[in-house]
Amino acid sequence: MPDLISESSPTTFAIGGRSDAQLQKAAHDAGLALSVEELRRIAQRLGRDPTIVEIYAFDAQWSEHCSYKSSRMYLRRLPTDGPTVMQGPQEDAGILHLGTWRGERYGIVIAHESHNHPSQVVPFEGAATGIGGIVRDVLCMGATVIAVADPLRFGDLSVEHSRYVAQSVVDGIAAYGNAIGVPNIAGDVYFDAAFNENALVNVVALGLVKEGEIIHSRAPEGSAGWDIVLIGKATDRSGFGGASFSSLALDADDRDANKGAVQVPDPFLKNVIMRATYRVFDLLRSEGIEAGFKDLGAGGIVGCTAELVASGGYGAIIDLDRAPTAQWNLPAAVIAIGETQERLCWILPPSVTPRVLAIYNEEFGLPMISRGARAAVIGTVTDGNEYILQWEGRELMRVPLDFFTGGVRYERAAAQPVLSAEEEAPRNIEIADVVEFVLGHHDVCSRQPIFSRYDGVVRGTTAIPPGYADAGIIVPIPGAPLGCALAVDGNPRYGKLDPRRAAELAVCEAVRNVVAVGATPAGLTDCLNFGNPEKPEHFAQFVAAVDGLAHAGRELGTPYVSGNVSLYNESATGNAIPPSPIIACVGTIADISKTATCALKREGSPLYLVGRPQNALGGSVLAAILGIDGVLPSIDYASLRAQIALMLKAYDANIILAAHDVSDGGIVTALAEMAFAARSSAPLGIELEPASRWAPGIGTAGAYFGEAGAFIVEVENESRFNELTLRNGASAWRIGKTIRDAALIVANKRYSLERLHNAWSATLLDFYED
Amino acid sequence: MKISAARGHRAARVAVPIFPGSNSEEETVRACLAVGLHATLVHWSAGPAALRGYDAYVLPGGFAYEDRIRAGAIAAHDAMMDAVVAAAQRGVLVLGICNGAQILVEAGLVPGTGPARRPTAAFAPNKPGGRFVCRHVYVKLSVPPDRCAITTNLRAEEIIPMWAAHGEGRLAASRHELGRLHRSGHIAFRYCDRFGNFTPEATPNGSPFGAAALTNKDGNVLAIMPHAERDAWTYQQRDGAVRLDARGDAAKMLAPAGGIRLFAGLARALGVKK
Repeated sequence: MPDLISESSPTTFAIGGRSDAQLQKAAHDAGLALSVEELRRIAQRLGRDPTIVEIYAFDAQWSEHCSYKSSRMYLRRLPTDGPTVMQGPQEDAGILHLGTWRGERYGIVIAHESHNHPSQVVPFEGAATGIGGIVRDVLCMGATVIAVADPLRFGDLSVEHSRYVAQSVVDGIAAYGNAIGVPNIAGDVYFDAAFNENALVNVVALGLVKEGEIIHSRAPEGSAGWDIVLIGKATDRSGFGGASFSSLALDADDRDANKGAVQVPDPFLKNVIMRATYRVFDLLRSEGIEAGFKDLGAGGIVGCTAELVASGGYGAIIDLDRAPTAQWNLPAAVIAIGETQERLCWILPPSVTPRVLAIYNEEFGLPMISRGARAAVIGTVTDGNEYILQWEGRELMRVPLDFFTGGVRYERAAAQPVLSAEEEAPRNIEIADVVEFVLGHHDVCSRQPIFSRYDGVVRGTTAIPPGYADAGIIVPIPGAPLGCALAVDGNPRYGKLDPRRAAELAVCEAVRNVVAVGATPAGLTDCLNFGNPEKPEHFAQFVAAVDGLAHAGRELGTPYVSGNVSLYNESATGNAIPPSPIIACVGTIADISKTATCALKREGSPLYLVGRPQNALGGSVLAAILGIDGVLPSIDYASLRAQIALMLKAYDANIILAAHDVSDGGIVTALAEMAFAARSSAPLGIELEPASRWAPGIGTAGAYFGEAGAFIVEVENESRFNELTLRNGASAWRIGKTIRDAALIVANKRYSLERLHNAWSATLLDFYED
Repeated sequence: MKISAARGHRAARVAVPIFPGSNSEEETVRACLAVGLHATLVHWSAGPAALRGYDAYVLPGGFAYEDRIRAGAIAAHDAMMDAVVAAAQRGVLVLGICNGAQILVEAGLVPGTGPARRPTAAFAPNKPGGRFVCRHVYVKLSVPPDRCAITTNLRAEEIIPMWAAHGEGRLAASRHELGRLHRSGHIAFRYCDRFGNFTPEATPNGSPFGAAALTNKDGNVLAIMPHAERDAWTYQQRDGAVRLDARGDAAKMLAPAGGIRLFAGLARALGVKK
């Protein structure tokens, strides 16, 4: 912890009278991420040197993590509206229409965050607090938290620290998510040496809320004089400076120093806070009270309370002495800005405050669950634009709120991204030579050793747990036929080749994944994980990816309702991660009886390929194994829209028995996975027609292992399926049929599914279960 | 064997007590309601008196008191359990699922071969590795149905699909005690494959004999590790043929199925007519 915030230090941070060089050094010594220019702007607007608490508060509030100062102007390019949107990306989470049940309109709340830096430094705690934070983002919309999912990007497993990170992150997610009782229903994982120094730990959470019961993260109209109520864990030393820490490149030498910036998770306390909060929701609804509610994340008490009141157009007086603390001698700056976990903040009319306090403190006994935890009134909403923080009879902060929460904006220079070539010659390959390597590849093989560590079925609403299909499905309202599908995607091998195309492909695949289970894509979230935005070549990747997301979102009619930007994913030696736009897609299901997994169902069923293979092998698993170059698959949006329409119509006609999306490892992998999924209930195999019949002009490498997006469908009624294909202008080829033989048969060659399954299931099992 | 009399004159009332850290209370209540039981959540702050007078108790899963010391160990000594222990000793039906099962073992109610609160067995960390595992499983009734009141109305050797989701589910006791539990019909359910075969792969946690559930001597208490309540509706069935049969029929897809059989057994034992 910097010396500056201890009690004996001066109470102001000197800006006036210092040269730029002196100021830069002083800021660096104080552990501030603010630039000299930003420091001078603060002093100029305040008309004085800021106090120590103020300068750390600005440091957190104006960090890239909180203010999106580099990214915001580009994020405006994303489509954010449409008929499926109940609430766009203005708060901690977005909301999509799920459907109507018994006269009530229901929304699916979705939030998507990264916890990359903390997870690299202390992976167990970093990953666990990632879940903790995202759950609060959903909870504070007035929602019941119904699911989480984790997209993970780990380093090369032959490197010791990468192994440690890959193990501990999974342990942390399991420890937290399982204990709070929220099912983990989707997720993906890639391994690449480019993530050795910066693992990516993204996390998505879903909630359920009735449209009329949404709670907003702002002081409601007419709330001057209302109570500001802090709930949760007693503030301690953990997590000081987390927001700024996330906005700096990671330096291995600082690893120990950075550990103090990571928060300490308490899923046991969170479990109880969630349940107590559901009780408070009931109370407020029964009394018809509109309240404000927001979680504490980056910037701690000051960040949260300032944003809560500012977004309602109010000010606040906070009495820091009333914030429960776990240690008696905490410096004021730590209480004010530290990011102790498991805290939320209510804005409540004083008439209801005692009853809310009683729910948290007595009925649910927070002080008994965790020492010092409780709900406490810490301040008052005021008219005006001033944010005042008092402590021990002194004024530690008095800042104009619009200036403080408005932050800064940068227009970063962006170099032109290098685009990939457009043509690739057909290439041929023998299936037998590569199939086991492809299925056993760490980016293709079974994810069950990871998924089985997470509770995928707690709450008893899971219809499709992770690993059974391309998307997980929750039936969130007991008794209602409505379903909600969730999938996440983002292929780092594609990101390395072309960030814009990679972003588009991530959207297309996430959308295809929810369609594959029978869901209608409703909306997206994006988590943009990139390197240092101050380097033009890195920032160009970011801008290109945003353009790709915007284009794909418009073409497919899928709005972005929430998201997150994680920059500075770069080590001090300058190694940046591959551009990693990671997408989550929510699909809605009107009738849960019209869905399917990827498991083959019957002998003798025709198998159709919806979509068309390409010669493009760029970024494919096959290319990685063979060490060859290639171009990324191209995208024909008109054709993809037709494919989606066909799939959803065919689901509606009840003629899809099983469906799977073609992605990593290509068509052969997808077919093998459909057979593996059926293994325990219907031991079926596949007879695949030679590629020359269904992929004319495409080399066998592209046909069997190319990753151009498509669906494989086990169809019940062929003539009806063909009719729907024609009517929707889609293209579908019959590529084979199911057989009662545990084998994949192609052109009279027989591949034992037992053997293929061994290759597919062993890779991560050895790592995660040894 | 003294089992509390079935009550025909009103809906059987079931208490679902929750401790700090419980997390499966909602699906447990839902499964009880689906079989005609009148289920009530009883919160820990309501105190032990609030647990008096119920016809049965169903302890849900979770991580009561954060699994401190051992899973279930603290909750077993919570004052709330006084009411459950007293009721169990009077012959009232008690079902514990996952963490609820761990609590019943720690409270000494199952296998019940020692005095109350003096456990003679434990659900120990899974093998291999002591890691949490979430896996779809099948269990087979491995005692005569009337050995345990809750299973009396199940078919002999009935196979029920469930989800294992626990880190500590391996039955552990002295070798002498393990043999006795097996011989004297305390191991009510054993993990099996979907065809009913007892195979090592069918057991998710290394439990000896594939033991998934324990009952007590009187057969009024059942402690079962896997979650029947999370595999209780047609849309949750992992057998593709079952879901295929309900394709295009929302009512059928939302109907109770699979693991609901365990709750149906409880309801029948309490006199609920189907």
